[in-house]
Amino acid sequence: MSLFFLQPVYLLGLIATSIPVLIHLLNRRRLKRIRFPAVRFVLLSQRRISRTYRLRHWLLLALRTFVVFLLVLLLAHPIFQTGVGLFAGGGPLSLAIILDNSLSMKWSKGGEGFKQAKEAARLLISSLQDGDRGAVVPTNAPDQGRIRLKGEKEILLRDLDAIQIAAGTADFASALGRAYELLKEPAAQKEIWLMTDMALTGWENFTLSTLGQRDPLIPLKIVKIEGQGESLNATIKEVKMRGHGVGVGLPVELEATVVNFSGREIKDILVQLNIDDQNREQKLISLPPKAEREISFVFNLTQTGDHRGTVTLKKEALAGNPISYFTLQAQDRLKVLVVDGDPQTSLVQSETFFLTRALNPAAERDSSLFLPTVIIPESLGAVSLDSYQALILCNVPVLPDAFLARLREYLRKGGGLLLFLGDRTQAGDYNAKLFESYPALLPARIGEKKILSEAAAEKIQGVDTTHPALQGFTDEILKESLRSAKVQGYFRTEIAAGATLLSLANGAPLLVEKKGGPGRLLFFTTAADRDWSELPLKTAYLPLMQSLVSYLAGGKRGTMEPGISVGSAEIFSFPPSYVGKSLRIIKPDLKEREIPFTPNGEKASASFQENDLAGIYRLSLPPGEAPGAPQIYPVNSPFLESRLEAIGDRDLQAKLGAVRAEILPLESLEKGGKRTDLSLPLLFLLIVTLASESWLAQRF
Amino acid sequence: METNKTDGEKSYFDPLVLARLSSLYLRARWVVEGVMSGIHRSRSKGFSVEFEEHREYSPGDEIRRIDWKALGKFDRYFIKEYEDETNLRAYLILDSSASMDYASNGISKFEYGCILTASLAYLILKQQDAAGLVTFSNRIESFIPPKAKRGYLMEILHALEGRRPSGETNVGKILLEIAGKMRRRGLVILVSDLLDEPEEILKGLRLFRFKGNDVVVFHLLDSAELDLPFDGNILFEDTEQADLKVTADPQAIRKIYRKVVEEFIDHLRKECRQNSIDYQLLSTSTPLDHALVSYLSWRG
Repeated sequence: MSLFFLQPVYLLGLIATSIPVLIHLLNRRRLKRIRFPAVRFVLLSQRRISRTYRLRHWLLLALRTFVVFLLVLLLAHPIFQTGVGLFAGGGPLSLAIILDNSLSMKWSKGGEGFKQAKEAARLLISSLQDGDRGAVVPTNAPDQGRIRLKGEKEILLRDLDAIQIAAGTADFASALGRAYELLKEPAAQKEIWLMTDMALTGWENFTLSTLGQRDPLIPLKIVKIEGQGESLNATIKEVKMRGHGVGVGLPVELEATVVNFSGREIKDILVQLNIDDQNREQKLISLPPKAEREISFVFNLTQTGDHRGTVTLKKEALAGNPISYFTLQAQDRLKVLVVDGDPQTSLVQSETFFLTRALNPAAERDSSLFLPTVIIPESLGAVSLDSYQALILCNVPVLPDAFLARLREYLRKGGGLLLFLGDRTQAGDYNAKLFESYPALLPARIGEKKILSEAAAEKIQGVDTTHPALQGFTDEILKESLRSAKVQGYFRTEIAAGATLLSLANGAPLLVEKKGGPGRLLFFTTAADRDWSELPLKTAYLPLMQSLVSYLAGGKRGTMEPGISVGSAEIFSFPPSYVGKSLRIIKPDLKEREIPFTPNGEKASASFQENDLAGIYRLSLPPGEAPGAPQIYPVNSPFLESRLEAIGDRDLQAKLGAVRAEILPLESLEKGGKRTDLSLPLLFLLIVTLASESWLAQRF
Repeated sequence: METNKTDGEKSYFDPLVLARLSSLYLRARWVVEGVMSGIHRSRSKGFSVEFEEHREYSPGDEIRRIDWKALGKFDRYFIKEYEDETNLRAYLILDSSASMDYASNGISKFEYGCILTASLAYLILKQQDAAGLVTFSNRIESFIPPKAKRGYLMEILHALEGRRPSGETNVGKILLEIAGKMRRRGLVILVSDLLDEPEEILKGLRLFRFKGNDVVVFHLLDSAELDLPFDGNILFEDTEQADLKVTADPQAIRKIYRKVVEEFIDHLRKECRQNSIDYQLLSTSTPLDHALVSYLSWRG
């Protein structure tokens, strides 16, 4: 049962019901003063009639207000409806049908929900008459702005048929906003119908404030496509990598979290790992009700470069997204040249002992992504720097002149340098060769040496976790470990063109990055071993060194990418030479899109918004200098979209607030209903009220 | 006694027309002469006994009034003048409290009362009877004892013209006070709006009756006091008691108001009748001859 109005705009006239009250209040305020000798009689009369007078007075006021109310209702032309009728037939209709095509619709009503929603929409479109216009707005569509009201049923039906289930969460705010925008055009009647499975996730994201525009006079009818009984409902929550880096020939350990949304135990789910479309491993698991479980996979990659991966759930009649995409970029082991400026016969006392162990803990060739080679400064002339992705100088006293030119060339080609100072370092030589010469390589002038007593040692305090090389230190344990390290010896510095990544409690920079210029250069003001600091003894030392060297070697290489959510934007950063060029993206459905690179600071960046499908997206890069850049990226459906829990009618009404929403079961739409025009009964009531008012007014 | 008048004659007694006459004497005379021209002049019942003064004879004086003893003494003709003695002593009691100042139609109750009182005084004195005047609010403002002297009318009129309505009403108390001052029986004519406690008023009137006086009450009200013809929400402020105020919608209470006023009048009328007091309700829009005719009909 419902009540609606053919001319709801007249309901604004309800404001006029306040007129009798206002007149009453104004009259009360507008008092005339009269000096009168027979006030005693007035007073006596007032007392005598007071009760009945007041009663009549309020009754009269109520009747007059009711008359205005009835008049407004009559003008708005109310229709009482039992069951679900289609349209009132009181003039040309503008109809917006919002179809929920979010991923959850795929499993609603045992997989029939989306089809039934379309059938309901088809029924509405078929009920349109000459002069009526309609539009079908999917909740998930990148081009909602192009949808228009159309008068031809055939075109509307074709639009409806073309809508497919999307991979993302329903964007009700956007769809409703578009519907209201479409219905801004004048029409005798306006209605919005929304076909949805009421999935909680979509509505959780919805708030009235996100709804751009709305018209409280347009009725919103929500047809709920509800599931039949509780189905088995599970999905993959996330896939993440354990350990650091993905290297060729090194074991890669992935962990997939599988979640059971249903209230029943799900037995014998096959969880399958595929790498480059090859089944690598599969496990049979059971999931307790409303619980999640982590499953580990360990495998090796034999080739460098990009790899596509999926974790898939296989179980009959399992509702929920069964697949999660990810990518791996495997790299050959990073060759790191470590120059030990203070070699010792005892390895432990060597300047580079802790550093090399951090990069390759087992000191075996096939156990780490990093392959450090240690030399003494005298050997620098004999090695080819180009064979190494990163160069680390530890406590080297002076830099040989012949080496300087090669170092500049190495950095110009994109090489990475990590510089540690120490007790043997001659600051004057470094300043002259790396800071005062042009172009300066050092980000800071090296000042005096500062050696503190153990008691006065400074702790690390400042950690720039926004820097790509230190992003892993958002982890509290690692950060705490880093901050617990005491530093007894360091060089003071005067930073000229650099950013401080680590600093001591007294504010002195500990790790500085050179800004600008070719290559990457990181500069520690302390030593690499434990002579000047406790850092090598801390848990954080290993990830810090590996992370810094990875960064120096070119950024996110040897990584696993869990991907972005459907509907999110992917932003690409490339060297500035890409500005003006275009990036071609091949979507999972093999459709191609081209996006331009635009300048963004010192880089060229491109943003791709149309990540509307789950799967692996490929990049087709223009020729340029972006060695090792990933060529693929994954996009996944939000895992909560697989949760088939529905929002309650009351909760939804509360969320919609001022929107005139009516929630109807799908079946009621199919049954139809009966409509009664309330104009005549209202007219009769108006006449009776007017007569009562006149009678009562005369009684005064 | 009925008088049939044309429209022209009606305006002759219209209080508004009378109010335009500057002199109270003229107004009184206008009314009385107008009334008397239509009816028989009644014979004076008074007779003279008390010597007042001598004056020199002039031709035309009655021979029988010559004082022969004085002729013997002074060898000149003197005429004996006597104060008129009458069997009627009328006390005209006029309410001059602030409530009498109210006028909704151009003439206040006090102005109307003044003309009425003056007319009565004129009439009474013209008939050789004695007339006196008392004006009061919550106290006696002026007291002129009744006399039938020639020229006494002017004294009464002078007192009336010099009075402006003010002060609160206390009719009952004043009537008792006047009754205490009266040494001889007579006629008491009370002109008042009687906006006071009815029982107190009646108590005073009864005392007059108890002392053997004849009492005539002219209950004078403004037409607005009878009908409450106002519209809209009104704050009514009493003309005498500053703290007596009430907000009312006259339209809503009019019917019940009229009933209340009617009950008040009926009660007074009934009590007056029971005490043989002649009661006459007058509205300020009532032509003044009505009052005089009423008085004359009482006089028989």
